[in-house]
Amino acid sequence: MLKRLYRWLDLRIGVGEIVEKELTGYLLPRNINEWYSLGSVLLIIFALQVVTGMLLMIYYVPDADKAFKSVTFIMNEVPFGWLIRLCHAVGSNMMVAVLILHMLSTLLMGSYKAPRELNWVTGFTLLALVQGVSLTGYLAPWSQLSFWATTVATNSASAVPVVGPYLVEFLRGGKLVGPPTLGRFFALHAAVLPVVIAAFIGAHLFLLKRTGISAPPFGREGTANPFEAQQYHYQGHPGGIPFFPNYVLQDLTSISIYFAVFLAVVFFWPGMPFTPDAFVPADPFKTPAHIKPEWYFLANYQTLKIFPSELLGLSVQAAAMTFLALLPFIDRSPERHPLKRPIFLTLVIAGILLWIALSVWGHLS
Amino acid sequence: MENEGRRRFLGVCVAGATAAAAVAAGYPVFRYLAPRAGQEGAAKLVIPAGELKEGDAKFFEFAGSSAVLIKTKSGELVALSAVCTHLGCIVQWVKEKQQFQCPCHGGQFSTDGTVLGGPPPRPLAKIPLTVTEGNITIG
Ligand code: HEM
Repeated sequence: MLKRLYRWLDLRIGVGEIVEKELTGYLLPRNINEWYSLGSVLLIIFALQVVTGMLLMIYYVPDADKAFKSVTFIMNEVPFGWLIRLCHAVGSNMMVAVLILHMLSTLLMGSYKAPRELNWVTGFTLLALVQGVSLTGYLAPWSQLSFWATTVATNSASAVPVVGPYLVEFLRGGKLVGPPTLGRFFALHAAVLPVVIAAFIGAHLFLLKRTGISAPPFGREGTANPFEAQQYHYQGHPGGIPFFPNYVLQDLTSISIYFAVFLAVVFFWPGMPFTPDAFVPADPFKTPAHIKPEWYFLANYQTLKIFPSELLGLSVQAAAMTFLALLPFIDRSPERHPLKRPIFLTLVIAGILLWIALSVWGHLS
Repeated sequence: MENEGRRRFLGVCVAGATAAAAVAAGYPVFRYLAPRAGQEGAAKLVIPAGELKEGDAKFFEFAGSSAVLIKTKSGELVALSAVCTHLGCIVQWVKEKQQFQCPCHGGQFSTDGTVLGGPPPRPLAKIPLTVTEGNITIG
């Protein structure tokens, strides 16, 4: 039956040719590893966020007077509403975590090096956009947690010289966080940013198609980059393993492992995305004690606190982010094996430890 | 041959697991989207008889749908479904003619719901009512 459908399609639109070119004939390096499947995991997570987000929109009301009630209604009244909401809230956290792993793997394997600078730059932009979509979505339930986390986050923009105070007001749509903030944040969260993210994912994949996937620097004699900027050249892998069925199996394995972890959190640790303040409706006259951002912003939060001036703290972060974004243009040696790049490896490990230390400090402080 | 059997067995397992996963994901989504039971509103409604003058009609929500109560010139009370049997628009009361007219395709109904003209295939459904001590109980 399926075979006949396939043949029917093939006779008409030549699907066989596409399959031959993009799937069975798309060859990957023989020493490809599991880390290359994280991109596919991210695609699935993004799709799931889009679907659960659309479902939530059926009952969610983006109005300051009704938002909290509508979310409570979804959680307590709508059949399986809790499941859809938890998938969306836990999924956003998992997406950031997997994003960081994907980024670290391409970092450690030196995949960001020429000719893949643009893969890195579009990827880094995606990281920023996903953080943005999480931040704006955080306000949607209009709880004490949403309200005050947004107050603190938008307030940090006030350290920008000259335009700072106006910038804060512009972000909020008023002097303080209020109903106008919900309007603009919800539009960003549910309409603008998802479309921009989808577009950047498209660009990310397009670039990958044009450059060809990198070979991991491990298990081969030559670990340096073969790229020479003379003329455009697609990096193929003759004699490699086919994407379908071999690597699809790896992708599916990684996706299954991801789902096991994801569903374990949804079912056994449903409080993960929330604090007690998430269950209290926003009250603009009552700031709760100990408002903390989500875990992946804790390092930024702590950095702002340890510097004597907010401007300094903000500048340091901006510098670090710019450095990371432009890394492929700064680090231009062709060597890609991490063990043959001791200084680089030390810096990466130190950077990760610093980030963890700042996050833990931010959490405990 | 043995390989064929193994392949088949694994194929069946994968198809089964996929189907189970599809049901596990599909059922919650279906329930999430399905209209909620018990949201239809009261199946009984009391209207004070004094609210309605002779020759007038009063529209109201009844059991999740639209209904109308009329008091004919002769003082008789009738409750009908206000949903036109043609394509589901809500019929309007034309007081001068003492009949219902559907604004969508011109269906006409008499005060007891029978079709007087136009495309409606069936009369308007009657809703039982009782009058006690100046109160009209519908349903
Ligand atoms: C929504 C977020 C993202 C999605 C859906 C995504 C998706 C993908 C996919 C499907 C691939 C090809 C397979 C693979 O190597 O995994 C890939 C490759 C790559 N990604 Fe991402 N990515 C995302 C974010 C990022 C981020 C944050 C970075 C780094 C800052 C990044 C850097 C790269 C690089 C350098 C490659 C090329 C790998 C190579 O050719 O070896 N991506 N991405």
